[in-house]
Amino acid sequence: MLLANHPLLGKTITGDTASKLTIRAADDVARFSLRIDPAAIQAAGAAFGMPLPTRIGGMVEAGGRMALQLGPDEWVLTAPVAESDGIADAFAALGETHSLVDIGHREVGILVEGEAAALALRSAIAFDVEAMAVGTGCRTLFDKAQIVLIREDTNRFRIEVWRSFADHVWGILHAVSREIALGL
Amino acid sequence: MLLIRCPYCEAERPEVEFAYAGEAHIARPADPSVLSDDEWRDFLFIRTNPRGRHFERWRHMHGCGRFFNAVRDTVTDKFSMTYKAGAPRPSDEEIALASSAADSAASVKDARP
Amino acid sequence: MSNFRIAGKGRVNRSRQLRFTFDGVDYNGFEGDTLASALLANGVHLVGRSFKYHRPRGILTAGSEEPNALVGSNRGNGRFEPNTRATVLEVFEGLKTESQNRWPSLTRDIGAVNDALYMLFSAGFYYKTFMWPKSFWDKVYEPVIRNAAGLGKAPTAPDPDTYASRFAHCDVLVVGGGAAGLAAALEAGRSGASVILCDEQSELGGSLLSEPSAEINGQLAWDWLEDTNAALAAMPNVTVLPRTTAIGYYHQNFVGLCQRLTDHLRIVPDGAPRERMWKVRAKQVVLAQGAIEKPLVFAGNDRPGVMLAGAARTYLNRYGVKVGNRVVAVTSHDSAWHAAFDLAKAGVEVAAIVDVRGTVPTQLVAAADALRIRTLIGWTVTGTKGRLRVSSVRVNPVGAGGKVGGAETIACDALLMSGGWTPSIHLFSHTQGSLTWNEDGQMFLPGRGKEECRLAGAGKGRFSLKAAFEDGAAAGAAAAADAGSGAGFGAEPASYHVEGELSFTGVTGRELPTDLDPGHAKAFVDFQNDVMAKDIRLAVREGFKSIEHIKRYTTNGMATDQGKTSNINGLAVASDALKRPIPAVGLTTFRPPYTPTSFGTFAGYNKGALFEVTRKTPIDGWAEENGAVFEPVSLWRRAWYFPQVGEDMHAAVARECKAVRSSLGIFDASTLGKIEIVGPDAAEFMNRMYTNAWTKLAPGRCRYGLLLGEDGFIRDDGVIGRLAQDRFHVTTTTGGAARVLGMMEDYIQTEWPDLKVWLTSTTEQWSVIALQGPNARKLIEPFVEGIDLSEGAFPHMAVATGKICGVPTRLFRVSFTGELGFEINVPARYGRAVWEKLFEAGQRFGITPYGTETMHVLRAEKGYIIVGQDTDGTLTPDDAGLSWAVGKTKPDFVGKRSLSRPDMLAANRKQLVGLLTSDPKTVLEEGAQIVLDPNQPVPMDMVGHVTSSYWSAELGRSIAFAVIQGGRSLQGKTVHVPMPDKVHSATIAGMVFVDPENKRLSA
Repeated sequence: MLLANHPLLGKTITGDTASKLTIRAADDVARFSLRIDPAAIQAAGAAFGMPLPTRIGGMVEAGGRMALQLGPDEWVLTAPVAESDGIADAFAALGETHSLVDIGHREVGILVEGEAAALALRSAIAFDVEAMAVGTGCRTLFDKAQIVLIREDTNRFRIEVWRSFADHVWGILHAVSREIALGL
Repeated sequence: MLLIRCPYCEAERPEVEFAYAGEAHIARPADPSVLSDDEWRDFLFIRTNPRGRHFERWRHMHGCGRFFNAVRDTVTDKFSMTYKAGAPRPSDEEIALASSAADSAASVKDARP
Repeated sequence: MSNFRIAGKGRVNRSRQLRFTFDGVDYNGFEGDTLASALLANGVHLVGRSFKYHRPRGILTAGSEEPNALVGSNRGNGRFEPNTRATVLEVFEGLKTESQNRWPSLTRDIGAVNDALYMLFSAGFYYKTFMWPKSFWDKVYEPVIRNAAGLGKAPTAPDPDTYASRFAHCDVLVVGGGAAGLAAALEAGRSGASVILCDEQSELGGSLLSEPSAEINGQLAWDWLEDTNAALAAMPNVTVLPRTTAIGYYHQNFVGLCQRLTDHLRIVPDGAPRERMWKVRAKQVVLAQGAIEKPLVFAGNDRPGVMLAGAARTYLNRYGVKVGNRVVAVTSHDSAWHAAFDLAKAGVEVAAIVDVRGTVPTQLVAAADALRIRTLIGWTVTGTKGRLRVSSVRVNPVGAGGKVGGAETIACDALLMSGGWTPSIHLFSHTQGSLTWNEDGQMFLPGRGKEECRLAGAGKGRFSLKAAFEDGAAAGAAAAADAGSGAGFGAEPASYHVEGELSFTGVTGRELPTDLDPGHAKAFVDFQNDVMAKDIRLAVREGFKSIEHIKRYTTNGMATDQGKTSNINGLAVASDALKRPIPAVGLTTFRPPYTPTSFGTFAGYNKGALFEVTRKTPIDGWAEENGAVFEPVSLWRRAWYFPQVGEDMHAAVARECKAVRSSLGIFDASTLGKIEIVGPDAAEFMNRMYTNAWTKLAPGRCRYGLLLGEDGFIRDDGVIGRLAQDRFHVTTTTGGAARVLGMMEDYIQTEWPDLKVWLTSTTEQWSVIALQGPNARKLIEPFVEGIDLSEGAFPHMAVATGKICGVPTRLFRVSFTGELGFEINVPARYGRAVWEKLFEAGQRFGITPYGTETMHVLRAEKGYIIVGQDTDGTLTPDDAGLSWAVGKTKPDFVGKRSLSRPDMLAANRKQLVGLLTSDPKTVLEEGAQIVLDPNQPVPMDMVGHVTSSYWSAELGRSIAFAVIQGGRSLQGKTVHVPMPDKVHSATIAGMVFVDPENKRLSA
C-alpha cells in the first residue's frame, strides 16, 4: 500500500502538567455513514455485530467498534481499519433497504483529554459541553467547522472533522491550550 | 444567539447549528404542469411576510440535519414551538399552550424601586 | 512635581512604585492606580482637548462612564490604542500615554480657535454650515473638519495581539461586583448554583472601594470585602471575573462579556490573548450595575478641575489622592456633601458647599459647620474661570421666585459637582425591557422585562448600602431558586446590618439658573461630543420634538460613552424647552456594547491564519512544494498555476495549456463536490432533481447533469456516474457542493419523503486526480488493475471501480479539456501518494501539473461553461445553450414549470455566445459591458456583458464568452465593448473554438 497522509498525521499538543490537557490526532479508523429506516435497526445491528443506539446522540461501543446515532435515520459506524471490507460485505448482504457509504477518509479524529478538556472545547463550541452526558455524541459547530463531538469519558472527548477543516480546528485548539497552560 | 428546540433531537440547541429555510406549509404542487402561470408565480414568490406569528422552516443543519417547522413571532423573535416536517399547522390552542410554558416566568422579577 | 497623595489613605500598593509617561513627561504612580488617579496624584488635571471646540478638558469621573479623559495608550511592541479612558487604564511600569486632538501641544492648541467660532459649530452645523461654495466640499471643508474634529488617531500598524473566546452556561450570572452584586453572588453561590460574577474593575467592591468607613455586619467595609472575596474564591461553583465588562444582553439570557486579560501587565507572555469574549447563557441574570452620577449643567462646567463629587471621593478614599488643595462643591444632592466632608477631614481646604436646593438635611449643615465649611444653601453657580485649570467659581444666591442675585467669586483649584445619580439600566434596556419614570427620584427605573432577569441595588434606584445588600441577597437567592436544580436552592437570604450609612437625597439636575444670558452660556451637557444646553434648546426651536431627532441633530449622547453622563441632563433640558414632562419626551435606546470594545474581542480566534477556514486538498502540500500560486475558490485554496523560473502567469498558463493539448497534464480536482446517492429510488430522485433523463443511464456510464432552481434558472452542474442500479456518484461545482446537498435534502425530507433514497457527502472521501491529454491512457494503463481501459470497453463517459497503484479507485473517463482524459478518484489519504507516483511515471510524457487558470482556458476553448461564472442565477438552460441537456419528455423536474413562463420564452433574453475580438491580441475584461452602437449618447443601452475571457495559446488569439440579448440570432454581427482607454469591437461567434467534432476525446 501507498503512504497514507492527512493534515494532522502524528501531531500532538501537550499542555503543561498543571493544565492537564493533551490534544492529539487519533489513529485511523474505518468509518461508514449508515442510513436506514429506524424500524430496521435490529437487522442493521446484526450486520454490524452489535446493537445500534436507538436515540439521537446515543452511542454504543464494543470490541473496538462504535456506533453513534446522529439523526433520525443516520448512524456513523467506526471500526479498526482492517475490518472495513468485512463491514461493507456484511451490509451488502443485509436484506433491508439502506445506504452504507464509506467515509473513512473523509474525516480526521482528534482526541482532547485531561481535566481541562471541556474547558478547551468551550472556546469554540456553543452548546453546553459541560452538561454533555458521557457516552453520547452529536454533530455541532466548532468555531466555523462542522464536527462530530463524542464524550468518551468525563475528561476525554473525540472530535471527528472533515479533513480540510482539521487544520482550522487544530489551530484553535493550539491557541486554546496555550491560554490554559498560562492559566488565563 | 437564540436557542432553538429541534423536534427530532428533542433538545434546545444554539442557533448557529441551524439554518433558516423560508416560510412553512407551502407544498410543491404534485403536478406543476397543470398550474396557471399566476398560480405558479404565487407558489414561487408570494409569501405572507407577517408582522407577528410566522410559520417557518428551519434546518438543524449542523446537528441531525433535519428540516422542521417553527412558530416564531417576527416582532419579539420568540419561538412559540417547533414541530416535525410534515406535521399539520398547529392550532391557536396548541400554540398558546406551547408558548405559555415558555413565557410563564419571563418577566423582570420584583422591579419595584 | 507636586504631590497630591495623602498618607494613610487609599488601597494602592505604596510599596510598588511604577513609572509611566504622559505626553513624554515621566510620572510616578503605584500599583493599583489608574492613569487618572496617578495623574491627579501628580497634580495633572488637563488631559485632553474636546471634540469640536478643542476646549481644555480634565478628568470628570472615576469610572468607565468617563467622557473627557481619553488618551492614546502605548503598551509597547506596536500595541497602541486610541481613546482609552484614563479612568479605567491601569498603570504599569513603562506605560506610555499621550493626549489627543491637540496641535501642536496640549497647552497650546491651534484648534482652540473653534471655541470662539461657536456659531459655525452649533447644533446641526454639518447640515447648515459649510454649504457653499460646492467646490469647497471635498477640498476644504471635509479635510479641515476631519482634521480638526475627532478623537484619537487610529493605529496604522496591524494589531499584534491575539484574542480569545469562550462559551459558558451557568445558573446565575451576576453583573456588577458592588454591594448588591456581591450579596447576590454569595447567596446564589451558597445555594449550590453555578454562578458567574463579573465586574469591569480590576477588583471587586464597587462603591465599597470608596467607602472604607462603612461597617457591614460589624466589619469595616474593606475587611468585609476581603472576607467576601475569600468566600467566593472558596466556592468551586462560583467563577469570579474581574476586569470583565458585560457589553451586551441578548435574547434568552445570552450575555456578552469582554474580559481584559493582559492590558494591565508589563510583560505579556507569548501567546497570551489580550482579551476574551465570554458568551454566557445564564438561566437567570442579576443586574447590579450601580448608578452613575450626573454632572450639573452650568457655564464653564467642563473646565479641567471640575469633576463629579463622587469621583473626587473615590480618588481620595480608594487611591489616596486629593483632587485639589482648595475645593468648592456645588450640588443638588447630598452626595457632594459627603465628598466635601471626606476631603476636609483629609486636610483639604473646602472653601464652600453650594447647594442649589432651598433646604438640605439639617445634619449635613451641622456636619459642615463642625468642619468649618461655609455653606451656601439656595445658591447657584453661574460660571468658572481658569484657562487650563479651574481657578475660581462664580456663585449667586437665588431669591424667592427664582430671581438670581448678585455674584460672588470664590477661588478654588477643584470644583466638585453632583446633580444626583442615574441608575445604570443599559443592559436591561438592551433586552427591550420597558422603563418607567420615577418622578420622586427623577430617574428612569426598570419596568416590565423580557428576559429571566432581576435588577438589584442602585441599578434599580435603591441607593442605600443596606438596601443594596439586601436587595442583592434577595435577588441572588431568588435567581438561584428559579434556576432550578441543586441542593439548598431557595434558602432564606442573609440580612445585612450597615453602620455609617450616608444620606442620599437630592433633586433633579436642570440647567442651573443664571443672571447671565443663557444663550451665551457654555454649559455642557455632553462633554465628549461638545453639546451644550443651548444646542438642545436650538434644536427644539428649530422644530425637533422627538428625543430621537434631538439626539441625532445635536449628537447629544452619540459619542463613545453613549451618553452615560449626558442623556438624562439632555432630556431634562429638552423637556424644559418642549414644556413637556420627561416621560412624555422619552428616552433614547441604549445599544450594545455598554463600553467601547475592541474589534479583536469580537473577532476572537478568527485572525490571521484562523481568520477563516482555509480548506486544502490532500495534494495541496505537493502543489506548495512545487511552486504553485494559489487562488481562493469558496473556502478552498486551489493551485492557480505552476510558474517555472522566469515565467509570469501568462507564460505559465500558455505552457500548461500546450502540454495538455500535446501530451499530458495533471490537475488536482479534489475540491469538486461529491454526493453519493443510494437507494432503490435513486434514479427516480435523479429524474426529479436534474433536467436530464436518468432511467436509461446504465451502471458504468456517466452523464452531464444540469440542476435548476424551481424558478427555472441554472443552479449547478456536474458529471454524474451511475455505479450500480441503486447508486450514483454525483459531482457538483466546487462552490456549490454544500448548497446542492442542502437543496437535495430539502426535497427528499419535505417534498418526497416517500422516496427510498439517501444522500451522503463524499467530497472529502475522495482525492481526485485529473489526467488530461493524448498520453493519459498510456500513463495509467500499467497502474490500473481490474478495469479494461480499451476504447471499446471504457469509452468517454464511462466509470468503473478497480485499483490504481494498489489502492481502490473510482475511475472516470471524463474530460473538461476536450482531450482524452481520466478523473482518478482514490481514498483521500492516498491522494498525494498516487499523484506522486503518476507524476514520476509521467516524466517520459513531459507530464505537466496545471492549475485552475489553465483548466478555465481549456474548457473555454471547448465551449464548456462554468456555473457561477458564465451563469449568474438568471440563465435558463436555453439561455446557456444547454437545451440538449433537458429531458423534454419527462413529466416534471425541479424548475420545469418555470421554463414555460412567458418571460422565459422571450426572444430577447440574454443568451450565452462566443465572442472574438476584432484585434486578436485584445483580451477583454471579464464583466465588461457590451453595446450595439458605440456612438450612442451616454448612458448607453447595454445589451450584455463578457463572462469569460482568455488568451488561447492553441489558437494564438483571444477568446471570450458573453451573454447578449438575443445573442444567438446575432451570429457574425459586430458588437462593441467600451472601456476607459478605447472601444473594442468583437464578433459574435459560436462557443466551441477548438475541435468542434470532439475527435480528441477519443484520440
